[in-house]
Amino acid sequence: MLEVKNVKKSFGDNQVLKGIDLKVNKGDIIVILGPSGSGKTTFLRSLNFLEKADSGTMDFDEIHTEFSNASGKVIIKVRKKTAFVFQNYNLFQNKTALQNVMEGLVTARRVPRKESEERAKKALDKVGLSGRYDYYPYQLSGGQQQRVGIARAVVVNPDILLFDEPTSALDPELIGEVLAVMKSLAEEGATMIVVTHEMSFAQEVASRIVFMDGGVVVEEGSAREIFTAPKEERTRQFLRRIIRDYDYVI
Amino acid sequence: MQLNTEFMRQTLIDVLAGVPVTLKLTFVTLLLSAPPAFWIALGKTEGGKNRGKISGVYVSVVRGTPVVVQILFLYSLLPTMLNYLIKNVFRLDFNIFNIDAVWYAYIIFILNTTAVLSEVFRSALLAVDGGQLEAALSIGLSRRQAYMRIIIPQALMSALPNICNTTVSLLKNSSLAFMMTVKDITAIAKVKAAYGYNYIEAYLVILLMYVILCSVVQGIFRLLENAVSVRRRAAV
Repeated sequence: MLEVKNVKKSFGDNQVLKGIDLKVNKGDIIVILGPSGSGKTTFLRSLNFLEKADSGTMDFDEIHTEFSNASGKVIIKVRKKTAFVFQNYNLFQNKTALQNVMEGLVTARRVPRKESEERAKKALDKVGLSGRYDYYPYQLSGGQQQRVGIARAVVVNPDILLFDEPTSALDPELIGEVLAVMKSLAEEGATMIVVTHEMSFAQEVASRIVFMDGGVVVEEGSAREIFTAPKEERTRQFLRRIIRDYDYVI
Repeated sequence: MQLNTEFMRQTLIDVLAGVPVTLKLTFVTLLLSAPPAFWIALGKTEGGKNRGKISGVYVSVVRGTPVVVQILFLYSLLPTMLNYLIKNVFRLDFNIFNIDAVWYAYIIFILNTTAVLSEVFRSALLAVDGGQLEAALSIGLSRRQAYMRIIIPQALMSALPNICNTTVSLLKNSSLAFMMTVKDITAIAKVKAAYGYNYIEAYLVILLMYVILCSVVQGIFRLLENAVSVRRRAAV
């Protein structure tokens, strides 16, 4: 469905992505792991052109484009086929939960208002916010806001859902509710690329894990392969540290 | 010292005729300044190089000179320049010196207010979190839609207090239009005062008049601000 090749990106002298390849098939749940600064988020943002990659190619169903010279039309097309869930939710502050979810349908896709409203309500019901249609973002908890964010992404039936550390800004108690929603989406067959530090989520849900460090993909494999028998020393190092911290917290 | 109350009453009535002039000068200027000011602000925040530079020079020239000097300079320059253009470039048979001075007042106040408002809008646009634009783009909105539906409504909300400030200072600055023979509140009072040397009475009347007008403007903006925040709170 989606294949990107040799994605490179520099911020000034700092090369953040040194040639990333990724292939995504329908129904894949790809979890990208890696230490801070490894380029995970930049890579994810490049996929829907929130960040402009310097080079590389993208094949996305019928779309074929270079990252460096993608036209405005192509960019909007790609954005309409994907949906993005942000680390800090980024709900529209001037709109209610329902309006947040409807916006992508009504304005971007010209879906009739009535149908949009029905679909938006259904999406909010699915993330457990049926009683919160008319609440503004500042009236919702972080976990609720992120679930609105997920509803806003899901409602447009995107081919691929992109999650950028969706639980990193939440306190531990609220992480569970967001992960539960993501898990149920995965079970329904959604295609997802998730950047996260939630190891248990990666272990349980991922169909493939991509381990990134220093702007390159160090290792790629199933959850079982990566967690029980990582091939690369760098992966082992990372997991050892993360999982020890994890035990320590508990 | 005794105030001539009969004179004050008469002046008040005469000055009332100048109120529409003052208000029109204020609000027409405000309305016409807003679009170019917004365009400049956008150019600066979006980082368009040339647009940012040119507007930067313009804003610092306007902000770095007193309004009085701007009026003196442009009111001397504009009529002569326009006359030259009409006679020698366009070769039209039109006497520029016959047009109402209020047009020059509009031009000067618009040039001035555009610069001030552009900074108001710029700070308001910067106050909107960058994530809002990214979120709007990520769900497939065009840049234009994102600005119209997400960014500008939020920016306006935070700009309201500063727009109020700009409006009030514009209203007060409009009193300088008397220098261009525009018959606003101040001009009428000056004429009345000079007639019988009742300066204190005449100026006291318009002083109070400006206080009232400015208070009304501030009241309207307060209502606007409340309306906006009530709408945000109504959902609870």
